[in-house]
Amino acid sequence: MIRMKRANGGGNREVALKGLKAMPEVEAVMPVFSGDYDVIAMVDAPVKVEEIAKRIEALEWVKSLQVLKVEPAAPNPFLEEVCSLPGGECVRWCMQCGMCSASCPNASKMDYSPRKIIALIRAGRRYDVLTSNSMWVCASCYLCTARCPKDVKITELMHSLERLAAQHGLRNTAVATPIMYEAFVDSIRGNGRVHEVGMMMRFYLKTNPFAALRMVPVASQLMLHRRMAFMPRRIKGAEQIKAMVKKAQALGGER
Amino acid sequence: MKGFSYFLYFPGCSSAEGTAVGYGQSIKEVSGPLGLALVELEDWNCCGSTPYGSTRELESLCIAARNLALAEKTKITVLDEDSKPVEKNGLDLVTPCSSCYTTLKRAVSLMRDYPDLKHKVDECLAAAGLEYKGKVKVRHLFEVVYNDVGLEFIKSKVVNPLNGLKVAAYYGCQLLRPEASFDNPRNPQSLGQLITTLGGESVPFHQKDRCCGSSLVIPELDLALGLIHEILESAASNGAQCIVTLCPLCQTNLDAYQSLVNSKFKTKYNLPVLFFTQLIGLAIIPKVFPIHIPKYPIVPEYLGLHTNIVSPNPVLEHLFMTRFYAAQRS
Repeated sequence: MIRMKRANGGGNREVALKGLKAMPEVEAVMPVFSGDYDVIAMVDAPVKVEEIAKRIEALEWVKSLQVLKVEPAAPNPFLEEVCSLPGGECVRWCMQCGMCSASCPNASKMDYSPRKIIALIRAGRRYDVLTSNSMWVCASCYLCTARCPKDVKITELMHSLERLAAQHGLRNTAVATPIMYEAFVDSIRGNGRVHEVGMMMRFYLKTNPFAALRMVPVASQLMLHRRMAFMPRRIKGAEQIKAMVKKAQALGGER
Repeated sequence: MKGFSYFLYFPGCSSAEGTAVGYGQSIKEVSGPLGLALVELEDWNCCGSTPYGSTRELESLCIAARNLALAEKTKITVLDEDSKPVEKNGLDLVTPCSSCYTTLKRAVSLMRDYPDLKHKVDECLAAAGLEYKGKVKVRHLFEVVYNDVGLEFIKSKVVNPLNGLKVAAYYGCQLLRPEASFDNPRNPQSLGQLITTLGGESVPFHQKDRCCGSSLVIPELDLALGLIHEILESAASNGAQCIVTLCPLCQTNLDAYQSLVNSKFKTKYNLPVLFFTQLIGLAIIPKVFPIHIPKYPIVPEYLGLHTNIVSPNPVLEHLFMTRFYAAQRS
């Protein structure tokens, strides 16, 4: 941020504002109506603020100038990585109001609430974020996204983090959701449609087969009411699915 | 009598042959009287839902885009008023499942907003001999019933009014979020209006747009049971006799897991959970009452009611008895 005072002969304030707006480095300018200074300019590149200040000082209507903040931003590769994903760019817009955490039905079960997750991303703490259970207990109810005053797509962000965690080989071992997701994906890849019984069996075999005992009353009721299909149905275009998956893996990597 | 409106129908895995077969059956029985001609999309595949999108971005978009590509090239031939065959294409893709609805809409908007991604998806589709131009409109069946069929038309069709049946209208998450296309996402009213139109009473229900736990019910059972418990408690404490949903997953979670909630939280909920199409069917199809016997444990096998795990007989009994008393009085 650069504060500056007009020279007496420097024309009116409009000229000063126009001159500053024309500079590509200047992100925003605003007039000030009290205090010693007349115009404030926000600079887009904080690292080069001194250099830009010198160029402004050379302008004829500037009498005196003060640079308020010179803090070169530390490089944050994790933030850049998240921002490059579809829907991830909105992390920068967050104002940390906490509406998402207040809305989230599962925030109390998360290691870090959605607001904290965004704060940690902006602090560049990749390991803490990607090994937390937060994104894996997100139920995709989109309440946070619907209520966010800054239009941050938090649910999309959570899904992006799930993919990033897998990409970096980081996993939270306390949650079984990734295994269920994998079983679900395998089911679609094989037959083109999800076969619920097969998917559940695969999930319980991979995690804890004894946990399935708790599901026996539910499963037997579903069976009694003819809501379980025992045989998977394979679609005719299953080969098309295989071809697309193969091509997608070639284009975008495994994830 | 108004003519039929034609739609491409994407049932989704659970309504087609999975845990929500009753939904699919009730839709088949109700769509005709409502003037909806639902033509099933030929050889559709799973939309990918949340699990696919959460693990693989490009692949999940391709999986969803295959359905969109198939829908775009589908042409159907129908007979017009003079019995001449007319070819129709560019029909809207209608799904009864909120998860399919959100997933397919997400694929449409991501491919619209990120041209790079669309380009990659196009390449993958080309590998399967398909093409997607971006012209399909994805709609939810409830939205079609509410907007296209209209409450006026439904009201004119009602033959068995619900006689003040107290219903909790449960919207779930993914119909009105992340982007609402027709109702107020913060305080939705449309399903309540439908219930009132059918002659029921929509009770206050503050959990109407909260989450049922969705697919987390498998890996994180206790977490999901807590959410289901809150929804059931809210409905029961407001005096609802049944809950109505428009999502197969919501229905399965509230219905099939009700016994687990009861044993975990020491409660005694016995709330039938109906699909909105089942409720419409009960009101507009004129055959149920002669065959229904009160206190009879077996549920009649129509509208998919026999697939409801918490028996819907109390609802049928309410409809039967109120009609019975009304007939006696007159």
